[in-house]
Amino acid sequence: MSRLKKSFHIKARDFIRAGEASINVQNLLKSMDFDPRLIRRVAICGYESEMNVVMHGGDGTLSIEVDDEKLILKIVDDGPGIQDIELAMQAGYSTANDDHREMGFGAGMGLPNMKKNSDRIQIDSPKNQGTMVRMVFFIPEKGITN
Amino acid sequence: MSKKITSTCFVRFEKDLCAGRGTCLPVCPTKAIRMKDKKAVWIVEQCIGCGECIRVCRERAVSAASETPEVLNENHIAIALVSPVLYAQFPGVMPKDVLLGLRQMGFQHTIDMSYFLEIFQYATEEFIRRNRKSGQAPWPLISPVCPVVVRLIAFKFPSLLPNVLPVLRPVALMAREVRRRLITEYLDNGQEVVLYYINPCPTKKDPSCLPPRSRPAPAEVSLGINDIYPQLIKHVEQIKAADAIPFYQTRFEYETCATGNASMWGMSGGEIADMDIDRSLAVSGMEETIHYLEKIEMGLFQDIEYIEFRTCREGCLGGVLNAIDKYLAKSAVQKMIKQFGLGKRLHRDNILRMYEKGEFQTDKDPSKLTSLFGARKKALTIENMQKIEKVLQLIKGTDCTACGAPDCRTFAEDVVRGEANLNDCMYILDK
Repeated sequence: MSRLKKSFHIKARDFIRAGEASINVQNLLKSMDFDPRLIRRVAICGYESEMNVVMHGGDGTLSIEVDDEKLILKIVDDGPGIQDIELAMQAGYSTANDDHREMGFGAGMGLPNMKKNSDRIQIDSPKNQGTMVRMVFFIPEKGITN
Repeated sequence: MSKKITSTCFVRFEKDLCAGRGTCLPVCPTKAIRMKDKKAVWIVEQCIGCGECIRVCRERAVSAASETPEVLNENHIAIALVSPVLYAQFPGVMPKDVLLGLRQMGFQHTIDMSYFLEIFQYATEEFIRRNRKSGQAPWPLISPVCPVVVRLIAFKFPSLLPNVLPVLRPVALMAREVRRRLITEYLDNGQEVVLYYINPCPTKKDPSCLPPRSRPAPAEVSLGINDIYPQLIKHVEQIKAADAIPFYQTRFEYETCATGNASMWGMSGGEIADMDIDRSLAVSGMEETIHYLEKIEMGLFQDIEYIEFRTCREGCLGGVLNAIDKYLAKSAVQKMIKQFGLGKRLHRDNILRMYEKGEFQTDKDPSKLTSLFGARKKALTIENMQKIEKVLQLIKGTDCTACGAPDCRTFAEDVVRGEANLNDCMYILDK
């Protein structure tokens, strides 16, 4: 099976350029003419996870993997990790500080949104070893869509 | 393979004037222009009529696919459909005097579009009010007023088509009114009627590009504001110098006057300024528009109800077919508002009654738009993407445009699609 993989760098605390990695992923998927609704879901997950790295994490990468059945969006950073994943998955729970909230972030919807918009989500965040979030999106009429 | 000809439905290209400098290549938002044999070539189905290529061409090789007003003659009833941006081209002149000037030029009727902009405003407010309860459409709703924005969405952001406000555009409301009420008498008498759209941008499609109509309809001509300006300013100067000229007898309110709100429409933010919506934004300029659409696609701005987009900087006053500078025009509008204030002509209640009857909703299926402007090139496969990556590694990646493509990424894609030769790259040749 043929496979395509591309990675984009994310810089921590760079709020001005935050979102660029996700836009690159969007543009890549658009040139391959995926269903707009699928692209939208990937875009939302890409942006939410990119913002998490910018706000809380260390430097990181956003990568997209495409094969005939699915898209895999993976975000890796070398930040402090997520203290309590179960809590972070709850809507409204946030560890954002006042600065973040002043910029309009920190509603506590990041991970819940990512869970809602992806078909599978896996989070690995051992203490002080960074965080890895891996999301799978099945390509409609090709792979499993449930 | 896409068809490559020298003119599109929106712009006309004169090959002999083209100096081959390629300034138009990188400004095209859909990357529809290439250089072949030192002349620009358009990928016709990718042109969305934004006019950015017209703006940057110093040789004036690119122009709007509009016609010159010499076609005005006595053999037909000429009806001018006037964008309110026209008024801003004449600082210190009342809108009604601009309309009078058009009459003197030979138009039998002058239709002020801002009247229909008011209708559109009420209908939009009502849709938004109802949408708060029904959730029929996703937030933020996107203004359908600038057709370039709608085509850009269909072309580059199809997932946002459901966000486009499903209310008939002011220009469509105007054309419908003219067809329903103003011209029927002429047509019944067997007279020929021509509708002249007077526009600040090349966005109205050349009628020859439209599918043939099932019913007999009046001919349509697009004129740029700069097409009629030289002639019109002579009349306007005379009118200004005269003491008092009675206006022609008219049947409909929209044929004579305009309000302060009317002139404001040309400015960025003019559409939403007097609307009864709390959370709205106005964004102008091509780059900013694309950037904001990208953000909406990533899920941002869902707390905003309505966004007015104009791909021209400063709004329609920045349209490429205007006669005077956009900042001068803006200052003229601001002075006009200061002097005469704002004001609406129509009553909300009347418009709401029509809204109830479904007079303003579009029945256009957004997915049809995608097939008009969205479906163009064949989708790239994973293998194609891998080849593109390989080509990109071979070439230098400075976006020098010497190959004739707007940037290296597009060039690599053209190579993989078999539409360009790898040796067209200067860097490859040097090796």
